[in-house]
Amino acid sequence: MKSAATARMTAPGDVTSFSLGLALPLGLVFAIFFVLPLAQLLYLSLHNDTAATVWGLGQYIKFLTDPFSLAVLGSTLLLGAEVTLACLVLGYPIAWLYQRSGSRLQTLIIMIVLLPLLTSVVVRTFAWIVILGRQGIINSVLQSMGLIGTPLRMIYTQGGLIAALAQVQMPLMVLPLITAIGRIDPNLSDASASLGAGSWRTFFKVMLPLSMPGIIAGCTLTYAAAITAFITQSLVGGGQMLFMPMYLYQQASTLQNWPFAAAISIIFLFAVLAIVALFSMLGRRARGYGDAR
Amino acid sequence: MMLDRRRLLTSALTLGAMHAFPGLSLAQARPLVFATFTGSWEEAHKAVLVPAFRKANGDAPIVLDPMLSVDQIAKVNAAKANPPIDVMLHDPGPALVAIGQDLVEPYPVDKSTYFKDLIPEAQDAMGPAPFFQVVGLTYNPETVKTPPTSWADLWKPEFKGKVGITNLNSTLGTGWLVEIARMRGGSEANVDEGFKALEELKPNLAAVAANPGALATLFQQGQIDISPGNFNAIQILKARGVPVEFVAPKEGAIAFKTTIHIVKNSPNRELAFKLIEAALSPEVQTTLMNSPYLIVPTNTKVAMSGEIAKVLAKDTAELKKKFVFQDWKKINEQRASWIEKFNRDIKI
Repeated sequence: MKSAATARMTAPGDVTSFSLGLALPLGLVFAIFFVLPLAQLLYLSLHNDTAATVWGLGQYIKFLTDPFSLAVLGSTLLLGAEVTLACLVLGYPIAWLYQRSGSRLQTLIIMIVLLPLLTSVVVRTFAWIVILGRQGIINSVLQSMGLIGTPLRMIYTQGGLIAALAQVQMPLMVLPLITAIGRIDPNLSDASASLGAGSWRTFFKVMLPLSMPGIIAGCTLTYAAAITAFITQSLVGGGQMLFMPMYLYQQASTLQNWPFAAAISIIFLFAVLAIVALFSMLGRRARGYGDAR
Repeated sequence: MMLDRRRLLTSALTLGAMHAFPGLSLAQARPLVFATFTGSWEEAHKAVLVPAFRKANGDAPIVLDPMLSVDQIAKVNAAKANPPIDVMLHDPGPALVAIGQDLVEPYPVDKSTYFKDLIPEAQDAMGPAPFFQVVGLTYNPETVKTPPTSWADLWKPEFKGKVGITNLNSTLGTGWLVEIARMRGGSEANVDEGFKALEELKPNLAAVAANPGALATLFQQGQIDISPGNFNAIQILKARGVPVEFVAPKEGAIAFKTTIHIVKNSPNRELAFKLIEAALSPEVQTTLMNSPYLIVPTNTKVAMSGEIAKVLAKDTAELKKKFVFQDWKKINEQRASWIEKFNRDIKI
């Protein structure tokens, strides 16, 4: 009691040290089950042979000097950008609508947005196979309307994959947007209008900058989820579209080339970290906007 | 209250350790662990093999732990001295990896009652084959009116945009490529002709599936009408009412032996041997051959009947004539470079 009382008197800042102590159990779990395996992955990737006996940077050199491997990395990062953009363009109006509607409609919207999260990714992905297939919903509707003669090939194409991923990851975009747009004072857009700005101008100059924190958060989540979505990528993308998750799975599981697979994951990890860092840098700048109100 | 903190921590740690490593207190008393494959294999083994084994061995405790071959290898590799699995099941490729990494005990052939009854291709001293997986042509009988008879039929112009294949990640995809190469004069050591044939197949390709399971579902969606396919996977679809049929092409259906192995340093070596014996016995293989399992037997004492006799082979002699076996030792040598080539070249 005595020591606690003195501590409270002398150093009120000690509150933080208490919270660190409480974080110890979780920190320990992270250290054992996350940091340690990650270190092991790094260790494994620094070997030149499949049996992991010869040290060297061979695996990294192999990846970074191979145009094919770099193309796989590039197309994976591009896929993430396309999905994120699709989610943003389609998700923003939903979040906007949510803030402008009555409470009953709001419940409905939030239910529709959350609904995909309540079913497993595998089920959602299979639904897309049914929708995009040769005898799927889209093809049969277009055919019955006489717009197309032979069915379009949509499954196992980049376009089909983007559509499926965008739907599967949509909640990750919409939920942060709803929060961010909800924090914007509705009077601001009225003020902008009364000062003579048109609705587009109000949107680009007032609403968009103020919702930036939500956009950044949503984009980070969607991007990370889209590029690592192994199940959707392989089921809707098929076996000839190679992205990083499938590439490293192939190396590890079919070819038992663990060091190269480890190097691929480390490179992928750093590529993703770089993108996330870029997002959070943009986010910090955007927070400037947010505080400015 | 403060007093007890240290003691509390000690007991908490002890409790935690006991929970995390139950092996500390009961090192030897673990049941026999059999890592079978997931899906229909697990169902079949649970319903037929396990009861037969338990009946013959005084209700010995056994646990099925279904997982992919690769995961079996990784798990045993992680604890070679005290492996968590006693009996492994492998496709030909992974079997050679497991043997190469010294994870497998030689099968006690002399002690075995059934080993000598197996057809010669199944008699592997590092682990016998309790069944075969068979790859042939699968097609949709509603849209393909004349059943295909040869691998070459896949190249027919009438199947433009209707053919499905898998990539080389699977045993099926790799084995099929080798067979196509052989058809055009290649071999397990040289599949260049196979890749040329794939190039010519491109106009017909509707899909390159990521795995055999995904390929099978494409029949359901009408996405493909014809493909190389696994006999057992097709039976499952057929049972669900999907219009799909299997034929053995005239070049011969590709047979993969699935081998069963005693894990090195297994604490349950004797029971592991007994389980494998049960899997090789004509009784178990006969039950598994019949509907609904339709698993192709390797014991020559099993009389073929039903769907297998109708579609594949009436007896062991015919089976050996109609089946093509491949040299996976040779295939494994170059598989990595083939996968790389497939990754680069096959884009549709």
